Amino acid sequence: MHTTPSPTADSSGEPAIELRDLVKTFQPLRGSTDTVVTAVDGIDLTVGHGEVVAFLGPNGAGKTTTLDMVLGLTEPTSGTARVFGRPPRSAVIGGHVSAVLQTGGLLRDLTMRETVRMIASTYAATAPVDEVIDRAGLAALSGRRVSKCSGGEQQRLRFALALLPDPRLLVLDEPTAGMDVTARHEFWQTMHADASAGRTVLFATHYLEEADAFAHRIVLVAGGRVVADGPTAEIRSRASGRTVTAVVSDDAAAPATAALLRLPGVTDVKRRGERLVVTASDSDAVARLLLGELGGRDLEITTAGLEEAFMALTGRSPGEPSAGSPPDGIPARRGAVPAEVVR
Amino acid sequence: MNATFTLLEMRRITRDWSGMFFTAVLPAFFYLIFGATVDAKGESIGNGNVAMYVMISMAAYGAVTATTSIGGQAALERQQGWGRQLGLTPLPDSSYIAMKALIAMTVAAVPILLTYALGVATGARGTASAWLLSGLLCLVGSAVFAVYGLLIGTAFRSEAAVGATSGTMVIFAFLGNLFIPLSGVLLTIAKFTPLYGYAALARYPLTEGYLTDGSQDPLWVPVLNVVAWLTVFGLGAVHFVRRGRERQ
Repeated sequence: MHTTPSPTADSSGEPAIELRDLVKTFQPLRGSTDTVVTAVDGIDLTVGHGEVVAFLGPNGAGKTTTLDMVLGLTEPTSGTARVFGRPPRSAVIGGHVSAVLQTGGLLRDLTMRETVRMIASTYAATAPVDEVIDRAGLAALSGRRVSKCSGGEQQRLRFALALLPDPRLLVLDEPTAGMDVTARHEFWQTMHADASAGRTVLFATHYLEEADAFAHRIVLVAGGRVVADGPTAEIRSRASGRTVTAVVSDDAAAPATAALLRLPGVTDVKRRGERLVVTASDSDAVARLLLGELGGRDLEITTAGLEEAFMALTGRSPGEPSAGSPPDGIPARRGAVPAEVVR
Repeated sequence: MNATFTLLEMRRITRDWSGMFFTAVLPAFFYLIFGATVDAKGESIGNGNVAMYVMISMAAYGAVTATTSIGGQAALERQQGWGRQLGLTPLPDSSYIAMKALIAMTVAAVPILLTYALGVATGARGTASAWLLSGLLCLVGSAVFAVYGLLIGTAFRSEAAVGATSGTMVIFAFLGNLFIPLSGVLLTIAKFTPLYGYAALARYPLTEGYLTDGSQDPLWVPVLNVVAWLTVFGLGAVHFVRRGRERQ
């Protein structure tokens, strides 16, 4: 059921990322009763030049571990990871790949500018430090200690650090985790402005709307495996279908249910209060029928959230208790969020 | 080696004024109390006098306080994600360690120089080679305790544990024959504790192994002590660094 878009390659013929049967297991601590944890369980993935790919999955799906292997921070237990045709660490040394990691990882008692200078000094050549600080919108804060900056400002700093070597591949590991809505919005705006010029981008997220808004392609992972891979729109429609609801009078409900179930693509019809709740892949047809001959009114069409997406694609729930409860009060798209109200 | 990186690190570490103050000034203060102002300070010991004996001991204490705290902080920084951030750069682990070692040695040199300067001013006397060699041994040997700091930092992963290592250094200093001359059973026990070998070695150019109770340590005693503890700290640090790499 997987459709893998054929990735483009550059003149060297090497894709930006090539993962082959990648496996990573963690041994339990000595003396603990835990069993071996398989974080990544055989991932195959090819990302071509200039692709913007979302790595979407619940917490504990193996996203960070996979990205760690792409960046050479962790060695795979088995399988191979290649970045631009070479081992990840060699790509890092060459400045071809860089990353914005999750929160943490900055020295609190350095200033913003000192942090940029320090990381810049590890590369043979980078853009001028002040220019990088300006571009990240940190000029006014450059003399401030990292510990005195907000989470969003610190993330902009990490972003500035990642852009220092002008990498061809940029990896973002849940770059907006812990940010409030405004900061998330600003972060993605900066991303759009700066990382759109032909850079290959792979970002992990558990927000479906981030994947939807920014990626051309979604790779859905759960339990350390790729469960779906395709263009964003396709994954979304396959993942969720749509839910169409409308108020239908009591005596019309039974015949309407029967009529709706005869429509192709309708998987479920329920009565909830005075509404009929229809799950279907072709929401337009359902809407037309409901508003037309079935006499429904007050129609709403909604798309399902990430949890429903996993259910639909894998036939099981994301499993982990942490799934679907993102940190810091940012609501993930759980349940239904109105996508559009038809006509 | 990367000069920009090293200088920025150095500036950052010396920004912690209170930490630097105690590292540099406390041993000098101890020297003034236990060495420069005691009646017996002019009595001769080996290639110098009592004041010099106390001066070397206090300089050694100051140097290991500095290296322990820098080793511990380095371990914490790496665990708190800075190691991952550096892992995204071309900087090899080996040059990171070399830079940290250089910084630890530079900071360790501060209490040594200050205490030695006070020694010159307050009547510590010894042969030129005793001055030079003891100072160098203080500096070089203090590196062993950077590994100790690293071990504590990686094993306990908390600022409190790293802070507490300076407390353990006080205990080791007492047990290691640094603060007060030990004798009898305590002295025998002392020879197995971590600071004993380092301090005895630093004082060797002065004392040639003679202790205050008249006995003499052959050179292999402090050397073996240093080698044994370096091995213990080193193996422990490697074990915990490996364990820390496995994300759970």
